[in-house]
Amino acid sequence: MTAFRTHLLLILGGLSGLAVTLFITNTMFDGSIEKMSATPTWQNVVLVNVLIGACIFLFVVELRRGAIRVLLTVVVALILGFLVTFVFNLDSSLRFTRGEFRVQVVSEAEALDVDGVDLEYNRVRGGHFNKPNVVEPVSEVAWSFAGGEGDVVSLLAYAKNKRSSVDPLVELRDESGAVLASATSATVAQVEERFDDLVRVTDAVIADFQLPADGTYTLYARPEELATGTIMTEAFQQTNVAFEALLLGPIQRVNRWGAWIQDAITLILIGLSFAIVFRAEQFSLGAEGQLYFGALVSGAIALNSPNVPSILIIPIILLASGTAGFIYGLIPGALKAYLGANELVSTLMLNVIATGFFDMVLYFQLRPIDSAYVATGKFPANTVLPVIVERTQVTIAVFLVAIVVFFCWLLIRRTPLGYEIRIIGSNLKFADYGGVNSRRTIMLSMALSGVVAGFAGMHLANGIYRELILDLSLALAFEGVVVALLARLNVLVVPFAGLLYSYLRVGAQFMERDANASFELVRMIQAIIILLITAEALVTIFQGRQKRADIDEKGHAVEALEAGDV
Amino acid sequence: MFENVIDGIFSAAFLFAVLRVATPILLPSMGALLSEKAGVINIGLEGMMLSSAFTGVVVSAFSQDWFGFETGVTIGPWLGLALGVGVAMLLSLALAFFHLNMKGDLILSGIAINIFGSSATVVIMYELTGDRGNTSTLASLQMPFIQLPEIINQIPIVGQFAYEVFNNQSIMTWIAFISVFIVSFFLYRTPFGMHLRAVGENPDAAASVGINVKRVRYQSLLISGFFAGLGGIHMSMGYLQLFQRDMTNGRGFIALVTPSLGGGHPVGTMVASTIFGFFDALGIRLGSLEIPPQLPQSIPYFATVLALVIYALQRRISNRVSEMRTASGEAFDADFWKSIQRISILHMLLMVVSVIGVVTGISMVTTPRGFGGDDAILAGALIFIASVVLLLISMPFVTDIFRIQRRWAASGIVTVASLGIYLTLLLSLRLEMLISVVIGFVASALVWYMIGGRVLMRSE
Repeated sequence: MTAFRTHLLLILGGLSGLAVTLFITNTMFDGSIEKMSATPTWQNVVLVNVLIGACIFLFVVELRRGAIRVLLTVVVALILGFLVTFVFNLDSSLRFTRGEFRVQVVSEAEALDVDGVDLEYNRVRGGHFNKPNVVEPVSEVAWSFAGGEGDVVSLLAYAKNKRSSVDPLVELRDESGAVLASATSATVAQVEERFDDLVRVTDAVIADFQLPADGTYTLYARPEELATGTIMTEAFQQTNVAFEALLLGPIQRVNRWGAWIQDAITLILIGLSFAIVFRAEQFSLGAEGQLYFGALVSGAIALNSPNVPSILIIPIILLASGTAGFIYGLIPGALKAYLGANELVSTLMLNVIATGFFDMVLYFQLRPIDSAYVATGKFPANTVLPVIVERTQVTIAVFLVAIVVFFCWLLIRRTPLGYEIRIIGSNLKFADYGGVNSRRTIMLSMALSGVVAGFAGMHLANGIYRELILDLSLALAFEGVVVALLARLNVLVVPFAGLLYSYLRVGAQFMERDANASFELVRMIQAIIILLITAEALVTIFQGRQKRADIDEKGHAVEALEAGDV
Repeated sequence: MFENVIDGIFSAAFLFAVLRVATPILLPSMGALLSEKAGVINIGLEGMMLSSAFTGVVVSAFSQDWFGFETGVTIGPWLGLALGVGVAMLLSLALAFFHLNMKGDLILSGIAINIFGSSATVVIMYELTGDRGNTSTLASLQMPFIQLPEIINQIPIVGQFAYEVFNNQSIMTWIAFISVFIVSFFLYRTPFGMHLRAVGENPDAAASVGINVKRVRYQSLLISGFFAGLGGIHMSMGYLQLFQRDMTNGRGFIALVTPSLGGGHPVGTMVASTIFGFFDALGIRLGSLEIPPQLPQSIPYFATVLALVIYALQRRISNRVSEMRTASGEAFDADFWKSIQRISILHMLLMVVSVIGVVTGISMVTTPRGFGGDDAILAGALIFIASVVLLLISMPFVTDIFRIQRRWAASGIVTVASLGIYLTLLLSLRLEMLISVVIGFVASALVWYMIGGRVLMRSE
């Protein structure tokens, strides 16, 4: 690449990083400096946002054109998710045909005294249209009333209150059933000034009708039929509400932003763990089990050391959780390297075993005997990671992650072991010929990825929950696979991928809270992302030129070795 | 209390349960076997099972609305079966498309299918029932249960036992066990089966003789989706009568290992699945003892890991022996090496028991409260140390079979000692200590002598 293009790339990356930093900070504080400086520890918020900008910079600079592909994949998956939500929301317009309604015949005339009619002048009657789960729902009403010649009547059919969105129509029929007048809506003046009972303009009003003769008339009311247009608009609006919550929710307030950052930290750590093993072409999914062991060990230490100063105990906990992850990664690593056991199946089984062991120790040993919940109770304050942004759980783990990313980069790109891991990943047989101790490397790649997963467990236990609970990770590990894949197994891009993916995850929680959409929708989006991003054929369709650059990046080490040794 | 468990294991009710819980492992195992034979591993079985289980429940529940109650109850389950299996096959088609046409990674695409199956079922379940956990509000149906004719009861000796084991099993259980023989016929007696195996053995060679590798792999993935679908249907419409989120609970992954454990043959796979069913049922039964339920629940997963290791080791040993056979030609002593192989299997099986001992020991040390108080720490530590010692002394013979040849006496002592200890412990549940020690050690010495010791001693 020419120097000019390198500089252009750096400038582009820097600008996108800066733009994102400014955008997030701006949205969080509604663009007002006063609000920002009124927030406690706002300097740290800005610092974290700058780090987010740095992640964007690394993403652009490292992936170059691949960045476009990653973003495209996410956008396509989001659009598919939008369509699914849209389909599920097609029934949201049903609220216009359901709900409590009221009808009345308003008149100042003297009422005729006739027996056997349903309505009298100015008497309110009502019911519930199309109530769900009822054997015979009310779909229309026809109530009779007696009227005298020349009486001026107004017929109203309206929603009972603001909670009911039913959109009725009303008809006036004479004794033979002929429709004398009908209405589907009301004017603004009628709603606001004339009839106090009306709720909105969709309510139906036949105003000031002069009855032609004495007799019994019928007030007929039912919900208006839904036009296809209404159904579509309504579904579209509901989906928009859901996706607005998904896409802007996490940066609206400081506490929501905190939820995003703390989730991202865990995901980045797990993503790093997967990036390391996948680099060695080992499909180890053991991060979940390693995470549980990391959390268990750090929790057990935290509970038993209430009086040790923070500065001493936190490094010890960190070390212990890393060691636990290392050992639990070493087991499938050794089984694969020396005994040839399929790592995919063995790690999946070891995950279940780890979860079972965690549950057992938690339930029978760590839980206070008299506790009604299966949880340890909060850790002593000195063992919890110190918080850097008030009213959130954003802790010093932010810096820990930055350091871990740096060391992972050092490991993969700048050490002999990382070099061997990359060679094994690109060609195992070649690595063997080249004199790499592939057994040892495979084992270590799995064990080292366990260290990072152990850190993730420690962050969950001592940073987020501050106690040990059942279902600590909730299948987080599989989300880590997506993060590693989005980052195309590049450890420097993992922070960006983690932030992006956890943004969607946290947004999904707000979507579930603010709109009627299911959290699992985001997991469907996740599945689509994996399918699209692993489909190599798509690369050749969309980016014929990028493929060369990829091979160049991945196969670089192999080429160098071919020139030297063979 | 252990006596109760052992009595229970030999009862008809227990075998009934074994068959019942083996079915949802056996069906996807058949699918996994067929796809692995064609050289494409189907990781997405779990997601396919979930989606078919869910579709079956929903279709069977709604068919009562669509066709009226009477007709709905009759055809509902079958319609659910058809559509459920159809959905599973659609997912496997998607997997095949992304792997074979889009050149996506098979394993990662499979993971995506799993995530999709697990999340899409929950999303749609929430839309339909407003519940994220299960479909208990839907009036779903079950597949029919097969009632045997009473006449079987009259057969002397085995009649009543067989009747209790096989009567009132779900039709899916029968389908599962019958499909083993259909798959077997299909694989070894039809041209398609031969093509499938050829593609798995060596795709390039298969392509060179004109087999369309891609088409065969498409077909094998579709069939594996078909069997996964059947397994899912059994989960929600036979094993239980509702759908729970993630109800397959790893069975799709267990199904990936049973073919390797069963030596890559349908009948072996059936045996392996039944072993898993046995462990599953045992876990449920052991749950009545005063030990943490998580320990017996993990047994099938330990068994899988150990089975993987044993299978990998066995394959390596067989390879080495056959290499030597080709190298030494006429002078090859087949009987001698067969004995060594048998002894190495015995070593491995004994290691399995040691691993269970290690795990129990660790559990007792870390969770004394679960095992009745602080005394358990000491007992657990002893169990742990003893198991580790037994594990370490058998390890050298397992990793390198030539050690069995060179130090056959040491290997023999290790085998007899560990087998003797386990037998003694088992026997002492019923007999007096001294008698059980004598019987245990004599029996294990005999076992060692019979399976290969005599050949090794003679060759010296």
